Amino acid sequence: MSDLLSQEFLTALISGGLVAAMPLLFASLGELVSEQAGVLNVGLEGYMLFGAFLAFVIAYNTGSEWLGLAAGIVAGAVGSLLMVVFSVRMRLDQIVIGIAIILLAEGATSLLFDASYAESRPSLGTPSELAIPLLKEIPILGESVFSQHPIVYVGIALAFVVGWILKRTSAGLSIRAAGERPEALDAAGVSVTATRTWATLCAGGLAGLGGGYLAIVGAGSFTPFITQGAGFIAIVIAMLSRGVAPWTIVGAVLFGMSLSIATALQLIGVEIQTDYVQMLPFIAVIVVLVLFARRSYLPSALALPYVRGEK
Amino acid sequence: MLALLAVLMLGGVAAGCGSDDDDDEGDGGGEAPISKFAIVAPEKGNDYGWNQQGVEAAEQVASDLGIEVEVADNAGYEDVSPILRELSTTAGAEFVVAQASGYNTTAPDVAAQTGVPELVWDNPEANIPETSATAGTASQEGAYLAGVLAAKTSESGNLGIVISADDTNWNKQAGGFVAGARSEDPDVEINLAQIGQAGYADTAGGKRVTEAVIADGADVVFGMGDGSSFGMLQAVEAADGVTFIDVIGDKTSIDDQGVLLSSVLWSFDGLYQDAIDDIGAGTFGEEGYELDLENGGISLLQTDLIDDETWNQLEDTKQQIIDGEIKVPLTEDKAQVEDLIAQG
Repeated sequence: MSDLLSQEFLTALISGGLVAAMPLLFASLGELVSEQAGVLNVGLEGYMLFGAFLAFVIAYNTGSEWLGLAAGIVAGAVGSLLMVVFSVRMRLDQIVIGIAIILLAEGATSLLFDASYAESRPSLGTPSELAIPLLKEIPILGESVFSQHPIVYVGIALAFVVGWILKRTSAGLSIRAAGERPEALDAAGVSVTATRTWATLCAGGLAGLGGGYLAIVGAGSFTPFITQGAGFIAIVIAMLSRGVAPWTIVGAVLFGMSLSIATALQLIGVEIQTDYVQMLPFIAVIVVLVLFARRSYLPSALALPYVRGEK
Repeated sequence: MLALLAVLMLGGVAAGCGSDDDDDEGDGGGEAPISKFAIVAPEKGNDYGWNQQGVEAAEQVASDLGIEVEVADNAGYEDVSPILRELSTTAGAEFVVAQASGYNTTAPDVAAQTGVPELVWDNPEANIPETSATAGTASQEGAYLAGVLAAKTSESGNLGIVISADDTNWNKQAGGFVAGARSEDPDVEINLAQIGQAGYADTAGGKRVTEAVIADGADVVFGMGDGSSFGMLQAVEAADGVTFIDVIGDKTSIDDQGVLLSSVLWSFDGLYQDAIDDIGAGTFGEEGYELDLENGGISLLQTDLIDDETWNQLEDTKQQIIDGEIKVPLTEDKAQVEDLIAQG
């Protein structure tokens, strides 16, 4: 049985939980913005796959993690253009288009990877990390929470920035109006289509960044289907956040830490069947749903196309 | 979707407008009982694992016998009956290898319909004379050797096993590994961690869980995971003084850091050859096949990290298993593996 008090072991578990949480944080943050504008991105998983693949390719070929992450943002945003064109502009069903985007991303990234890297299977090596002065000296937390890749701190700050934009700026007001009362936004002279377009591109870019983080920091490589359903978990986290961006941090970290706890429970040899241990992250989400779902709030025009003059 | 693409590609090949890249015609003596066979694999044949081993073995056997082989890889895990039927009819295969345990109920049905014999995995009920036959592995025998090697190599006395899912083949090998390690060092500590319900492609999960296992003290990690094993390898490479034992394929060519201690290799050449011979003799389907240490279907990869003395001992142990002097436990369920670990 493992020594639970081992500093190295606890550090690895907390660090691993955070690493697992970050792709969910970025993707759910983007989805939250998009949902507030009335666009449900079922294809979030696809944006993440596009982002993961291009981030891996650029990071591997340039040796720059930052260029790779930037490429992930671009790839995710380009992927979300499909949603913009077919759902926001042409008003086709958001769920159907979202599923199509996932299938396209899975097929395209697998095909491209197999054609280019399946033989060599390159890896990116150990990712860089930024240790925060003084805080890094704290036992266990110093080497886990405060010694992460710099984009982790950017992501956490971004959740608060997005929250502020949504609540305190005219752009945020437009986004929320596009999801709540698009006809009112239209009457005020602001384009609903343009607002939803930018919100969807934001979702694509942030999900792509999440995918890029997953490939560069989380896995250190790319494997077909690497996202393993993270996009769907991110959608749930975005919905549970009830339009409050910083709550995405809570949801993502809860899920990531649950994954780490599931590993820990196996290693310490608890007398519970592994099947149940493996369900822990999902049980955590279900518990949160039960506790907060009744109070959850989704924009009234979510997933509905906007047609001027149509009720 | 992938299966559909595969069917379309097969149609193209059958119509004469496909690439010949996947058609290998060997230069053998031309005495083979069939002139063409096919293999259907669920993923691409370049995964350094199950699919690659299967495809390369098929191409090798085709070359040895001087016959053609049609490779339909990346066929997915969905309903492959259209692909199997296409290969048996339009593509002209006289024998089909259905290289996934997930195909083991569909393939016998297609074989009965088309009359073209099919080789399936892990379905004893599929042994039907001149129609279909099943294959399995005694991979726990190779894993036993891996366990002995790990226990001899470990300096911390702590070994880690990481699996991508609760999979029968992973459980069999995990049990063999535990038994082998304990035979070398009864006090060795062994910890088992599973990535997820079906984390075969979860590279990030493989890395995360392996990092935790290493942080728990393991300095030799036995990893079974398909795509997720690349994440396991990453975690091992990032750690100091930790080595990795893989399964099924040989990742030596991508082991940049020299951490690959060994691999429990699965070789399908002899299996496919035996099946074709049995088709010629009219005995195909009368009984199943098994890869084991004795017939060379299961073996341990020798790397530079294994010294001669250790390798010689492993060879002796291998012979003892073949002779029946060592009985390797069969643990098809994960609970059996956990019980075995708990006995230490």
